[in-house]
Amino acid sequence: MSHQLGRVVSEILHRYFGEIVQQVGKDLFTYGSKPISMIVKTTGLPRAQVVESLRTLLKFHLATFEPSSNEVNADYKLIPDNVLLLIRYPRYLLQMKSKYGSEAELLIEELLQQATCSATILLVTIAKKYKDDEVKNITMSKLKDTFISLATAGYIQQAPVEEVKEGCEIPTLVPVATIVPELDTRHLLHAMTMDISEITDNVYWEVNYDRFHLDFRDEIMIKAVTRRIDENAGEMLQHLLRLMYLTSAPWAPESNPTPVLELRECCQRVAAEKPHLNQHFDQYLKVLEENGAGFVRRCGEAGGGQYMVRPRQAAHALLLCTLEHCVTERLGSNAARIFRLINSKKYIEEDDIQKHAMLPNKECKELTYKLLEEHFISVQPMRKAASAGGLAKAIYLYHINLHEVAHTAAELCYRALHNVCRRAAHERRRHARLLDKQRRVRTIVHGMRLRGEPQPNIDDVEETLTPPELAVLTSVEKRLKQLSAAELELDRTLFILKWYFMYP
Amino acid sequence: MAGRGRGRGSGLSLTQEQYQALGITRGDNTPAPLAPPPLFPKLETKPLPLTCDATTDYMLIVKDQFIEYLHESPAYVKLQARTDGIERYSDKYKLLSLNAKQGKVLDCVWNRMPSELRPQTARVRVVRKRKLNDTTDISKRLETLESKELQEESGETTVVNENEDVKKDAMEEEELEDEEEQDYEVDDGTDYANNYFDNGEDYDEEDDNLDDGPVY
Repeated sequence: MSHQLGRVVSEILHRYFGEIVQQVGKDLFTYGSKPISMIVKTTGLPRAQVVESLRTLLKFHLATFEPSSNEVNADYKLIPDNVLLLIRYPRYLLQMKSKYGSEAELLIEELLQQATCSATILLVTIAKKYKDDEVKNITMSKLKDTFISLATAGYIQQAPVEEVKEGCEIPTLVPVATIVPELDTRHLLHAMTMDISEITDNVYWEVNYDRFHLDFRDEIMIKAVTRRIDENAGEMLQHLLRLMYLTSAPWAPESNPTPVLELRECCQRVAAEKPHLNQHFDQYLKVLEENGAGFVRRCGEAGGGQYMVRPRQAAHALLLCTLEHCVTERLGSNAARIFRLINSKKYIEEDDIQKHAMLPNKECKELTYKLLEEHFISVQPMRKAASAGGLAKAIYLYHINLHEVAHTAAELCYRALHNVCRRAAHERRRHARLLDKQRRVRTIVHGMRLRGEPQPNIDDVEETLTPPELAVLTSVEKRLKQLSAAELELDRTLFILKWYFMYP
Repeated sequence: MAGRGRGRGSGLSLTQEQYQALGITRGDNTPAPLAPPPLFPKLETKPLPLTCDATTDYMLIVKDQFIEYLHESPAYVKLQARTDGIERYSDKYKLLSLNAKQGKVLDCVWNRMPSELRPQTARVRVVRKRKLNDTTDISKRLETLESKELQEESGETTVVNENEDVKKDAMEEEELEDEEEQDYEVDDGTDYANNYFDNGEDYDEEDDNLDDGPVY
């Protein structure tokens, strides 16, 4: 709940939902939770528009509400974390496309756009949209099967159900367990012919972000091990993670012990593709345990040995890497060396830093103070109770409070994200006229192509954009693309930080 | 007793040796910074290039599509379209395009929203309009009126006359219907019915209020 977070959230709301939702969101962020009349008062907006904005925020799960003390009005509250997730939507879609194919991607895309939607309406809208598309070849039965497999895998879940207490006008939302639905293709095809408003299906679905985040976590862990050791070790970790899902809670800091025999069976099954893994199974396991940054630990001898996966340790190690990288990029490699040194010694005196870092005295001091100034390290004064002389009354111990430093890094990310959004909005505003013209030319040309008009006419329309205008446009597009890519990268860093904060 | 000679604040201030240990010597005390730090400090090293592969391109396209969808949907709340007082030919079209989305309401699961957010007022209006427009409703009402009339007259009329009456009534009914519809349209179309007369009372009231304000 920091100042920087508030600024990012307001910028993102501006980009996605416009100025008025931004004002309402900002107001809610500053004041915590408040009823409609208070929002109207502080923002000075007409009530109808505040109501509309709140609808938008509630629909996309960016805010919640709860009955206030008088049980007639509701108090609204912004969920800043969910606003940040808006940036991650493309990543969810990419994940779906690469893992389950284009049908799943379409389903998730439509569901993200609708926020909550019943299964029948969802499937019918997609089928109608791509009815004439020969390339994608979407059929209802395929869509239905994808929907069911997504529900089974937990990527989509049932939306919480309302519960109305007597004498209270505000419903409370209660989460329900997801039941995989029985969908009938014939029934769905019949629904295609009906009007959307006639469909009565009151089981609503929403995207389960958490399931996607588990996928991202596994991917990061496997990638880290693959880069540190090799692909076979990555494969082994993947099997271990899969076994972990069977026995423990998905976000558990440490998995329940997994017997080696089960892991060996898994590896034997893929022996055809990974012969090395099967041949050198014991060696790989040993290397993974000793040199895998503590992702895996041997925790028992029973049954030929038992191993556990340690996501908490993984988050810790990855956070350290991120912070080191951050220090390197901001203050140089020498500062990173001091940072690593302090981390390995836990508590260290200034003189010892100079001795061990092997840097010139003055430079070392300067870098230490700079690190201290930017809150990457902290200092702990220790007073000696009974010292006789005036010298060395107190010693100053430098150390790293990882949780605090992680917060510092998160603040940096928020600030950068805000700057990126702000800059992109500025670019867009400055070249609004040109971008608008380009869009109009594109739609006209597209329409002409569809009508099959001759090429010279199309060229004529395209030439309304003069070469200097085109040059400006390409440079603007390049800049916007770079800024958007930066947004995605920052989101990746934030994901690691959020993962670390998950384990207190 | 050794500390006495160093002055009273020996517990708080540092000695010369300690200052030296911290790197502060007598000679090179840094001058206090006078200007605020620059708003955009210069980067010491060039930042690393961003990876731009097919997946990034895909994500960027998808993101733009999503934002475009949101901007077109009623979720994107806009200010009421306003003019600056100068009439222009293009105003009509601009307002039309801006207000096209105003009527649309976000598609939500209303049961799961607090009642104050549900579009109740809009619904009531729609129902009222329907009542006025519905011809079957009007004809039904006329029929009931007609049957009442018939009941009153039933003592006097004969069977033959009754038949004629029914025909006449049917004609009248049609005429009535036409009239009603016309009336309805006329009422809406012109503004003769609207009262533009300003008797000046409101103005006075406002003035009074302003005058009354500061009196305590």
